[in-house]
Amino acid sequence: MSSESVPSLDDALAGEAVLGVYRQMFAALARDSGAVVDDPVLVDVAETLLAAFADAGEDGLSREQMRYVCRRYPAEVFENRLRVLRGLGAVREVFPKPNQLRYRASFTSVVGLMFVRRMMLDGGQSEMHRLLALERLNVADPRMTAAQARAGAEGLARAFRLWSVELVTLTNGTIEELRAQAPKLWGAEDILAGAERLHGAILSRWPELDRACTELRAALYAYGDASRRAAARLSDSAGLTRNLTLLPPETWRTFARTASRDELAAVLDGFVFDAPAPWHEPAAVVAAVADAPRAVPARPAPPRAALPDGGLADRADAGSAEADRLRDVAERVLRGRDRAPVEALLDGDWAAARRLLADLSAAHLRPELPYRLVWSDGLAARPDAAPAWLSSGVFERVDA
Amino acid sequence: MSWSPQILARARARVLGADGTGAADPAPPGLAAVADGPRAWLLPSWPDGATPALLEQYEVAPMPLDRAGQARRVLAAALRCCWTALDDAPWPGEPAPVAAVLAVYAGMTRGDAALAGRWATGELRRLADTGWLLLDEAAGTVRPGPRTALWREESLGPLRDLLRRMPGPGAAAP
Repeated sequence: MSSESVPSLDDALAGEAVLGVYRQMFAALARDSGAVVDDPVLVDVAETLLAAFADAGEDGLSREQMRYVCRRYPAEVFENRLRVLRGLGAVREVFPKPNQLRYRASFTSVVGLMFVRRMMLDGGQSEMHRLLALERLNVADPRMTAAQARAGAEGLARAFRLWSVELVTLTNGTIEELRAQAPKLWGAEDILAGAERLHGAILSRWPELDRACTELRAALYAYGDASRRAAARLSDSAGLTRNLTLLPPETWRTFARTASRDELAAVLDGFVFDAPAPWHEPAAVVAAVADAPRAVPARPAPPRAALPDGGLADRADAGSAEADRLRDVAERVLRGRDRAPVEALLDGDWAAARRLLADLSAAHLRPELPYRLVWSDGLAARPDAAPAWLSSGVFERVDA
Repeated sequence: MSWSPQILARARARVLGADGTGAADPAPPGLAAVADGPRAWLLPSWPDGATPALLEQYEVAPMPLDRAGQARRVLAAALRCCWTALDDAPWPGEPAPVAAVLAVYAGMTRGDAALAGRWATGELRRLADTGWLLLDEAAGTVRPGPRTALWREESLGPLRDLLRRMPGPGAAAP
């Protein structure tokens, strides 16, 4: 602030009026008198209140009525919102005096909220369309002055500059971010064409504004370049995705009609058709069941022998099956005799004879079976026979 | 011009699907016919009798399968209900109610039984899609699929032991 322009009371009043408009406009977004909301619900509260004020008419609402309208929200949220809205002038007393019971809402806040909601919906792009259309109407208006046209052109140039900066940042950033912001790229051609028309209209009506128009033109070209580069990057990566919302439907249709056969086939790269069915090996099934999350913590099993286990004997003679079999074998070998020479029994195929010898030894070793093997000293060497040597012995019945 | 019966059989299998073959028709080369009453299922037979489990020995990744453990547990639960004669082969098995399979599966897992049932229903459908189970949703029954006939007899021992140990549908989960 320089010393020669000491602000007068009039200046302060004008500044206060401007600030008042700003405050009312963004009251719905204010968390407290100094910051923006951090929860979208707070904006909903403001919108509910403003809608109720619109229905209430010129009488306004009392505090209790406001609380009733906002009964869905917690009391402290409502109190906080009401305090902030009053502090910023979005809601004010019908008559400015103490203990006023009835309130009315400010028109500016509603308009500001409408604008904010629209910006949330389509990110400022359709706002750009509206601005361009409005500016074109203004330029055609005979009451428009050169200074206003210059201000409009400079504002648009600034907006396009910022827009292209944002696009360039997106283009150089990650592809996911670019995809998320992709709606900002759509319809860029329309906006460019509208801006070019506006630029032509300004330049033909006020040729002295060529400097501002040059700025606008440069900003427009920068925006066009940035938009084309971002779109190119997007469509490059769109070939690798199946997210069909990335591009407008007509673009996909154009691709489907104009692409070559190879390009169409490349879309399905990486897909396996007629895939083999998964294979579940029995061992894998067993492992999967063993790895299952358990209802109760796993208790370690007691150590078991690796041999197959017959389990607990639930019959009294469960263990006697083997003894019965050995008795059977022995009786078949003895054939009613009391004793039989081992040489004679083992004569023949060794593969069968060794099993017989094992059975006879087992019968000999079982104390409950009345048989025994008695070996003597003789040893017969028989180079041509199947057991090449045999010690002589006798398998005999023991009379208990 | 004459065509060999095997080529005709392959063409018929391509047109009619895997289950359109009569049991008496010749099997096309490379496919094994798994008899199921009057019909036969045509399934790819593995060269040299090896199964895809061999891939593991060569450290080659098999076909990726989402939630393989869960699918195999559901398969085990279904086999517990359908493969009643454990000394025989699992194929063709007997139809069992889906509810019994879900009960067995719910007994195997922890957590919400209704949620486990929903997961298991999805896995039953996926297993039915790939021929491991035959699911009759209208009748609410399930039975082993023809693919279980491709299991080699030697590999079935541990599975039989597991199914003998597994609690049946009647046993309530603790």
